[in-house]
Amino acid sequence: MKSDAPPIWTWKSRLRDAVLILALYLGEVGFCLSYKLYTARDCLNLGRLCVAERRGSGVMAAFLMPGSVIITDWHRSSEGKEFLSSIVRKNKRKFFGLIERPVLPPQVAADTACYKIFVSGKSSVGKTAMVAKLAGLEVPVVHHETTGIQTTTVYWPVKLRDTERAVIFKLQFWDCGEATLKKFDHILPACKEKADAILFLFSFTDRSSFDDLPNQISRVAEESEHIVKIVIGTKFDQYMHADVTERDLAEFQRTWRLPLLRMKSVNGPRLSDGQTLDGRAGLADVSHVLNGLAEHLWHQDQLMAGLVVPAIQAPKEDSLYL
Amino acid sequence: MEESGGCGLSLICLTASSGVPLYSRSRGGIGRQLPFSVIGSLNGVHMFGNNLDVLLTATSTENTRVVWKSFHDSINLIVMSSEVDSSDLYLNRLLDNVFHAMVLVVGLEELVNIKNVERLKKDLRACYRLIDSFLTVSEKSGDLTQCVDCVVPYDGPILQECLDAFTHAAESNFGCLMAAGRVVVATEKWWRLAAQEVMLLAWLVASLALNSSRDYPVYLPHGSPTVPHRLLTFQLVPGVDVCVLCGPTPSLQKVETELVERYWRPLQDPVKACLRVQLRSFPASFPLHQGILGLLLINREQKKGVYTVQAQQAEDKQQGVSLSLEQRRAALRAFYTLAVSQYFPSEQGDEKKGKAASKLE
Ligand SMILES: Nc1nc2c(ncn2[C@@H]2O[C@H](COP(=O)(O)OP(=O)(O)OP(=O)(O)O)[C@@H](O)[C@H]2O)c(=O)[nH]1
Ligand SMILES: [Mg+2]
Repeated sequence: MKSDAPPIWTWKSRLRDAVLILALYLGEVGFCLSYKLYTARDCLNLGRLCVAERRGSGVMAAFLMPGSVIITDWHRSSEGKEFLSSIVRKNKRKFFGLIERPVLPPQVAADTACYKIFVSGKSSVGKTAMVAKLAGLEVPVVHHETTGIQTTTVYWPVKLRDTERAVIFKLQFWDCGEATLKKFDHILPACKEKADAILFLFSFTDRSSFDDLPNQISRVAEESEHIVKIVIGTKFDQYMHADVTERDLAEFQRTWRLPLLRMKSVNGPRLSDGQTLDGRAGLADVSHVLNGLAEHLWHQDQLMAGLVVPAIQAPKEDSLYL
Repeated sequence: MEESGGCGLSLICLTASSGVPLYSRSRGGIGRQLPFSVIGSLNGVHMFGNNLDVLLTATSTENTRVVWKSFHDSINLIVMSSEVDSSDLYLNRLLDNVFHAMVLVVGLEELVNIKNVERLKKDLRACYRLIDSFLTVSEKSGDLTQCVDCVVPYDGPILQECLDAFTHAAESNFGCLMAAGRVVVATEKWWRLAAQEVMLLAWLVASLALNSSRDYPVYLPHGSPTVPHRLLTFQLVPGVDVCVLCGPTPSLQKVETELVERYWRPLQDPVKACLRVQLRSFPASFPLHQGILGLLLINREQKKGVYTVQAQQAEDKQQGVSLSLEQRRAALRAFYTLAVSQYFPSEQGDEKKGKAASKLE
């Protein structure tokens, strides 16, 4: 979390004064032990939160059920739509320069939380395509290696489950071409500098990119214990030609205990002009990924602030965000 | 080229030593992919001359003009055009711009000492967007004039002051504010770069995909063709980027989080106003005779230019009588070409050298 959001911290300090409650909860996902500085009602929600174990290496990974931190279908509510109108206008995704930000209707208010997210993965795995899709931009159809670093800012309003507060997530994706990264020494440190999350991409249609994940994780994520780490499988639309099976994924998750998201980076429907991408349809394609990122980022912040303590939990076999 | 048909322009890049095609780009009617035999013979005839110490520079068929240009005995560029307004001046400058665009992105070393052709081919894909921007009709004149397209903003002094301070804070002397590929204001040192470099940098930034910020390695074709510098770009509002050229420090993260908002947020209005003058290139308050539809104003000493084909504000009223934008563009460019080739031959430095070399040595 960066300086952009002081109000959230005052809110958090208010929470610290709340009663400490130890909640024990048996749910569909298994046995979950967790305590948190929350009200009783929040503890019921908290049951949906399962937090993974501490691995030998000291890497801490969290498994969150979708919807445990944020309200996932909020964007369909009338209030959610009001917030969405700040990033979609006339069905068109809006883009913001660095000195601009989404303007909310006067009657609603939200804090902004900024995060830096480093997108990692071998060449042509789909890093640039994914970022473009998340931002509502045209997805490049042919592969051109990315030169240098390019960052893309994506705003995503979210409703927190426990406090029912709306927060605008400002996600800044850092994308660099794999070839550039090898050629210039300053690129990798620059991408990792103060990063809040690293996304490890593999492609469903490229077995070697999946097999390389362990390598990639140890190469890129060394000394980044407190960073959110998420694995993303790209080209999920090419599922029929998949080189990676669900069993492979389950196996991988048992060993690595990292959350997994799936991505289809293909251009969605267009508006009646036949040119402009349909902003709402595009968002619907990626809301599960944006929600997943937001939840893990928020949760990690709370872990760091001591507002949540991780408990031991074996993750459910199947991956969580579909 | 009889078989190509239609009107269009095709560009081919090959290695000089072995004639391996590195890429080809095109616009208009000429088919996307030229047959290998055509590419082969075009290069072959050039090589044939070369072996006899004859430098082949240009030729014409009934409807097509072909221009060859060799760079550092390593890269050959060939352009074929069946467009009526493709002058030799333009085609030669196009090839010159294209080669230097390649240097800008991949560096001279890789182009002169080609070790791995496949690798080079792959790396050159990074220039496609920039090269293609030279092949698409635009509201800029730099591709023809090799001068820097400028915009005269509303609040020039305020923007200049802010840019100077921002660039200084980013530990650099080279800073530039651009709107849609045209320079709004730049620091004194930025203007001391070669004019072609300033032009290429502006075209490069305009050609890249929409991003919030970038850390892009560039090789300045004239100032530093083998040692890359870092071009940092920050999109203040869509269409307006502030750029800094620097060495290993500071990091992109640092400039973005510590400086961009601090310096530029207070100037949100003047920055946005840059977009309003974009098509006209200068503020509406500037008085201009009704009869002027477009203009190209060049400062030859500073190699800066202001170019517009939409000089009048409320124009749509008289639409009936006026020329289409396309016709204006063509007229202005043709007039420039004529003026330069007839009356300012010194401007043609490169071409003259090329012609001289075409004589037997
Ligand atoms: N069908 C489909 N194609 C995809 C998807 N993601 C990426 N692609 C295609 O895969 C190719 C490579 O994608 P990029 O995003 O450019 O690859 P990259 O990871 O950025 O590669 P580098 O910049 O070289 O490191 C492009 O042609 C994309 O169109 C996806 O989810 N589905
Ligand atoms: Mg890429």
